[in-house]
Amino acid sequence: MRLFKKAGNTIHILSFPGEDVAKGGYLIIEDHKAEKAMISQVIDIQFANVPGVMEELLREPGSEDSIQGEEIDPLDIMSQILYIQDARLLVCKIYGTIEDGKLRLENSWLPSRAHSTIRKLPTEALIKLAGITKGFPINLGETQETSPIIIDACELDGKLNIVTGKKGTGKSHLSKLLVLGLVEHGATVAVLDLNGEYTNLGLTPDGDKNEYYDHIRVLAPGKNFKVTLAHASLYVVMRILTYAMELPGTSSREFRHIWRFLDEQNMLTLHELGEAIKRWQCNQHVKDAMFSRYYTLAHSNFFTDNMAEAVDFETLLRKTDVNGGGAVVINLSDTSPSDRQIVVEYVLAKLQESLSQWRIRAVFLFAEEAHLYLRETYWDDIVTRMRHFGVFTTFITNQPDTIRENIYRQADNVFLFNFINERDLEIIARAAKVDAETAISIVRDLPPHHCLALGRVVNDFPIVVKVRPLNIRTMGQTRLFFTEKRTNKIVG
Amino acid sequence: MHNAEGKIFQPYGAELLGPLIGSCQNGETLKLDVRALSPLLIPLKPLRDGTPIIAIDVSSIRLGETETGILCAIRGTIVSNKNRRYRYLRIGPFPFHLTEENKKEILIPLEQDSSTQPRALTLQETPGHLCNIIERWIQMGVSCSASGSVILWDGSLAAGTAGDPINVVSQILKTARENSNSVSSFAKATNIRFLGKRITDLVLRHKPPCLFEVEDLPLSISKTANLLGKIHVAKLSAGGYPFRVDIDRALDCEDRIMAVQRLLGNELIFQGYPETLRLAHIFSTFTANDVIGIQRFITQKYGLKVIMRPSIRKTLFGPFGTGYED
Repeated sequence: MRLFKKAGNTIHILSFPGEDVAKGGYLIIEDHKAEKAMISQVIDIQFANVPGVMEELLREPGSEDSIQGEEIDPLDIMSQILYIQDARLLVCKIYGTIEDGKLRLENSWLPSRAHSTIRKLPTEALIKLAGITKGFPINLGETQETSPIIIDACELDGKLNIVTGKKGTGKSHLSKLLVLGLVEHGATVAVLDLNGEYTNLGLTPDGDKNEYYDHIRVLAPGKNFKVTLAHASLYVVMRILTYAMELPGTSSREFRHIWRFLDEQNMLTLHELGEAIKRWQCNQHVKDAMFSRYYTLAHSNFFTDNMAEAVDFETLLRKTDVNGGGAVVINLSDTSPSDRQIVVEYVLAKLQESLSQWRIRAVFLFAEEAHLYLRETYWDDIVTRMRHFGVFTTFITNQPDTIRENIYRQADNVFLFNFINERDLEIIARAAKVDAETAISIVRDLPPHHCLALGRVVNDFPIVVKVRPLNIRTMGQTRLFFTEKRTNKIVG
Repeated sequence: MHNAEGKIFQPYGAELLGPLIGSCQNGETLKLDVRALSPLLIPLKPLRDGTPIIAIDVSSIRLGETETGILCAIRGTIVSNKNRRYRYLRIGPFPFHLTEENKKEILIPLEQDSSTQPRALTLQETPGHLCNIIERWIQMGVSCSASGSVILWDGSLAAGTAGDPINVVSQILKTARENSNSVSSFAKATNIRFLGKRITDLVLRHKPPCLFEVEDLPLSISKTANLLGKIHVAKLSAGGYPFRVDIDRALDCEDRIMAVQRLLGNELIFQGYPETLRLAHIFSTFTANDVIGIQRFITQKYGLKVIMRPSIRKTLFGPFGTGYED
């Protein structure tokens, strides 16, 4: 490999057949005279612009051509000509410099073309050099050179993460891996599971209990996840009424009065609430507004007066924390869109309330396709305010445009799976924690179950990861109509 | 090439490289009533009889220079067409390091005529001479091994110049005839004029395919040139270009016409030029990629030290300093 050109943080390297370099791989350019080495990542592999190649290709007979022939080339010069034809230009981005054995984020110097030697830098060596694997390991899978890539769970702690990629590339799989990785280290994880994909995290592919079984709690709203008004608290219910059910201001004020009245009487039940609204002396429009919301709450089946079937969400989280961590999966797959908003509002408000009063330590929140249930103002709330309370969110989506650019900008870690759509690529390029060229070029060619990890988890060295399989029962696979049996045609 | 080992090598830029053989120049033409020449015109009828068509072309290229000489490469191609099935044989490339000291040593063993005096050549002329020798060597090989074929050469059937000794070319043509072959040459450009008009312009208004025997006209050709072929102008296809075609002089008139008619009947004529000869040219020509590959080969194999001397032309004339360094 020979150093050809450097412009800004882009470096062009000439590579010849036999020098096997993959897109996403790292190279080290060692300038022995300067006693420095530059670390760069291959973001694109092109043919070198060798003059005359077009003519050469045009005259070479193809297999389907009528002209055939032979060569008398006793000096075997043709092999050199073909070697030149296959020369490649590696477009690389500079990520740092090693000087005196220390890694520095510097790319302003110019290695010598004549004296530099260029070789592959195994990702394993880079991981070591960059100190990516530390205290709380989570094994993500393999690098391109099949060496293990283990990240530090601390780099997810207090951080905002995004997992995005087109459908069927393995986003949810990575999310499950992160959930279980965090659980292993005793973290409390809440999952807003839109499609019921996380419900079998505690089971092996054969349906037996796995090592996580005792740490996974699946809550299905309206079934095993019901709450009482007393557990909910006025703050939480008001947030549901205001944000999920858009109760106007005047009605909200009246509702607060009713709530406090019932609370003082120790009669805070769903039934009593309905009765109180009915009896309450107020404007008929206000009463109607409160009634309509009351009926929605009552019919959501999420609220109950039966203490035996109610779940105290806060206690559940506290127990999870005390018992060495675990994941609370809120299965929203059988919940209607309006009820989904009530449940999500409840969960988030409850989390915020419990965290702000230090009743629980911190929660890692995994939100799949959050745009389908998060209200507009929540996004900023989650990435700014709630983060300080201890809600560390991971957004998982196959529609990158549903996450606002400012959220991407604040993300600490981004896991990018394959995208082909130009618009999607443009969005992630604008927002990802790496230059646009790197993101677009590498992500476009990622095979399924491979992602480009960016951000703190990889110490800002973009690394292509082949996500490892999990010993859990898969639920995220798309249901298909044409199974093997069904493809048999009906004859006669 | 071994005498180049370890020397300093200044490669030529691949984009500046051109073939060693020069091109023709354009000139003013006079008005001439071409209808007056109609009796000299021979209309042609394609004769499709499966006669094989064989074309030969050789190319050379300068690769650069060393302290003592010139580095060049030569490659030859034979393309055959039998019943529209084309095959090629590419010979080379052969790199040469030519110096004042070794030019004789290289040329004499290759000469088919020992009477030639390579010492009379300048070093700059030597690659062209070497190219001619190799071309004649391939032509002789084809004349010996082919039979009943139409053999096409690039250029003319003139001889008597350095690298083209008359007895060598005559011997090749004789061998070809003995094997029932007919040799014709196609020149892509000609300077021969009749009354100031380029001979290829004489047939512009005539309906193709036709052959125009021009040799009996008062032409602007050197009387010292040893013409081993009868000079014709051929317009072989509608919309195609007319070409100067030399046909082996030793063939009688009827055989000469027959040779062209066989070519017409058994060959694809593209823009008035035989496809076999076009392919021979394409396969032998050096591309910039070839040049870089050969330069790399000789640099590695003979341990040459590449240097880039500053261009005096560029220094003096800036962007107007084009062409080879003298």
